[in-house]
Amino acid sequence: MTPGITSIHAKPGKSVTVTLSWFLFAAGLVAYLITAAARHRDNPEERVTPTVAQMVTGMTKAVLSPAEDDEALPEGASWVTRLSRSMLWKDTKASGLRFFYSMALLLPAVMLGLHMGLFPYVGALFLRFVLFFDKIVALSLLPILFIVFGIDELSKIMLIVVGVAPTIILDTFNLTRGVPGEQIVKAFTLGASDFDVAYRVVLKQIWPRVLNSIRLNLKAVMLFLFAGEMIASTDGLAYRIALLRRHMGMDLIIPYVLWTALLLFLVDLSMRLLNRRLHPWFEEGGLREGGAG
Amino acid sequence: MLLAAASTSAAQTKPSFTVGWSVYAGWTPYHYLQQSGIMRKWADKYGITIKVQRFDYAPSLDAFVSKTIDACTMTNMEALDMPAASGVPTTAIIVGDYSNGNDALLVRNGAQLKDLPGKRLLLVQKTVSEYLFDRAMTMNGLKDQIKQVKLVNTSDSDIATAFLSDTNVTATVTWKPLVSQIRKQKGITSLFNSSQVPGEILDLTVVRTEVLNRPDGSGRLFAKALAGAWYELIAKMSVPGPEADKILRAIGAGSEDSLESYKEQLGTTKMFYTPQSALVFTTSAEIKQKMALVRQFCFDHGLLGTNTKSVDDIAIGYPDGSAQGKGDHVRLRFEATYMKMAAEGKL
Repeated sequence: MTPGITSIHAKPGKSVTVTLSWFLFAAGLVAYLITAAARHRDNPEERVTPTVAQMVTGMTKAVLSPAEDDEALPEGASWVTRLSRSMLWKDTKASGLRFFYSMALLLPAVMLGLHMGLFPYVGALFLRFVLFFDKIVALSLLPILFIVFGIDELSKIMLIVVGVAPTIILDTFNLTRGVPGEQIVKAFTLGASDFDVAYRVVLKQIWPRVLNSIRLNLKAVMLFLFAGEMIASTDGLAYRIALLRRHMGMDLIIPYVLWTALLLFLVDLSMRLLNRRLHPWFEEGGLREGGAG
Repeated sequence: MLLAAASTSAAQTKPSFTVGWSVYAGWTPYHYLQQSGIMRKWADKYGITIKVQRFDYAPSLDAFVSKTIDACTMTNMEALDMPAASGVPTTAIIVGDYSNGNDALLVRNGAQLKDLPGKRLLLVQKTVSEYLFDRAMTMNGLKDQIKQVKLVNTSDSDIATAFLSDTNVTATVTWKPLVSQIRKQKGITSLFNSSQVPGEILDLTVVRTEVLNRPDGSGRLFAKALAGAWYELIAKMSVPGPEADKILRAIGAGSEDSLESYKEQLGTTKMFYTPQSALVFTTSAEIKQKMALVRQFCFDHGLLGTNTKSVDDIAIGYPDGSAQGKGDHVRLRFEATYMKMAAEGKL
């Protein structure tokens, strides 16, 4: 007897699986289009649910022309000039820089977690404090961040780091503790030094899991980045969204949100591919292919 | 949904309306109108139900534009660039006051307007704050240098802390009570404030035009009740004395302000305490000149929407029947009827 579609033992065919996996996208899109069309029939000047054509127009402008506060383009500017001076590129570049600086600052967090897990004195010094700090809601510390780091780039990057680093530190710490003691003893009996054990035995094998942990925290990084840009900023993707909200510029906000999602997806994808490339021996235990992706 | 609920239940019960307000010296009286029962009294008089709901400013605008609420407090600028420009025709039925010093441009270390190019200025961009800054520079012959000032868009919940804690920032434009909070620090001076542009930043109570023009006439009853309740309270506020102080203290409580702090804010708010004074201003030639400045600013800053090709596409209508912009595109209307009825004691 074939199990019914509600059964755990059900085996949907390939084409059914593909269709189902796209079904909600299609349903969402159709629901949006119907709502938008109805609202525009009701009110031709409607701005909350822009039509696809309006979004395309808005986005084309964002891709090809500079922000209104910037210098206008010279007559007959080349495509390269137009793209490089465009509003979208300006915002993406600003947000992207902040994003990568804060990602780079997560590396010391990984190293700290590793040392806390291996070296008892380091662990004794930091563990309790980091556990405490991890529970602090970073956004509520904003006034202090302003005083210490000013209101420029640094405070935005530090908001992300303060918000995300404790999680990464603790996760690395746990992963380090999870490495079987026998391996460490064995490495020592083979003549390894402390640092050989730390970097060549432990770090090497926890790296793929650390990378996965960072991937899972990309969303948190992005949330803090957006919060920072909405609080005080002169450029960036969230800055633009905050400004557009003031006059219901949904024809640009929706494309901006989708663009951000695409960028985040690409970062995640490239980290996954990098992980697989660097650590071909690593199998993502428990996660099916592309599970967290 | 509220609207649907309101219209379906209207058949059996009294028509129901919602007015939204947010914290600002000229709007907090709504808190007291509800608390004291004055609003209920006037609603009963006209046989309707009025719900008074408190919002943060931006969400109140969103609620009005999405037609969740029927009336709302907002400035002339937002009335034009939010509902009116989003195709939600809007009618101002009460011109409550204008900012007469509530909004201010503050600097540290004795900087002057001409020093600002190249420096950073914190403000909530695309709001009356940017309008005030624009006017300050223009009126001082520095219009061509506006673009050289580095505007930092800063959320109003953090602007005071941000400006006070980062001493490298030269200037900020914000409003009271934040202005008072910032000025307490040493070395901060005010370079320009809204009393230098009187009548340009108006605080209104607006109703959606389609609600006002409901065929069953209930919308007009709603407007009458709002105006009746408003002017009853405002009259009581205006006569100095212990009775007024009691009311002002209760109003101030709506924004967690003490009596002193609320009075200080009222001191820089030009309230139209009588319907006569509001009527005179609303029917004057002056209001048209002021609105012309505001609408041009909105258009120049893209606030009327990227698809709006001309400033005349979002027209403003006045009590004398004239319009600024295309006559068949009136989206924001100043309606003097209800202020007039209040002035003549016909409510």
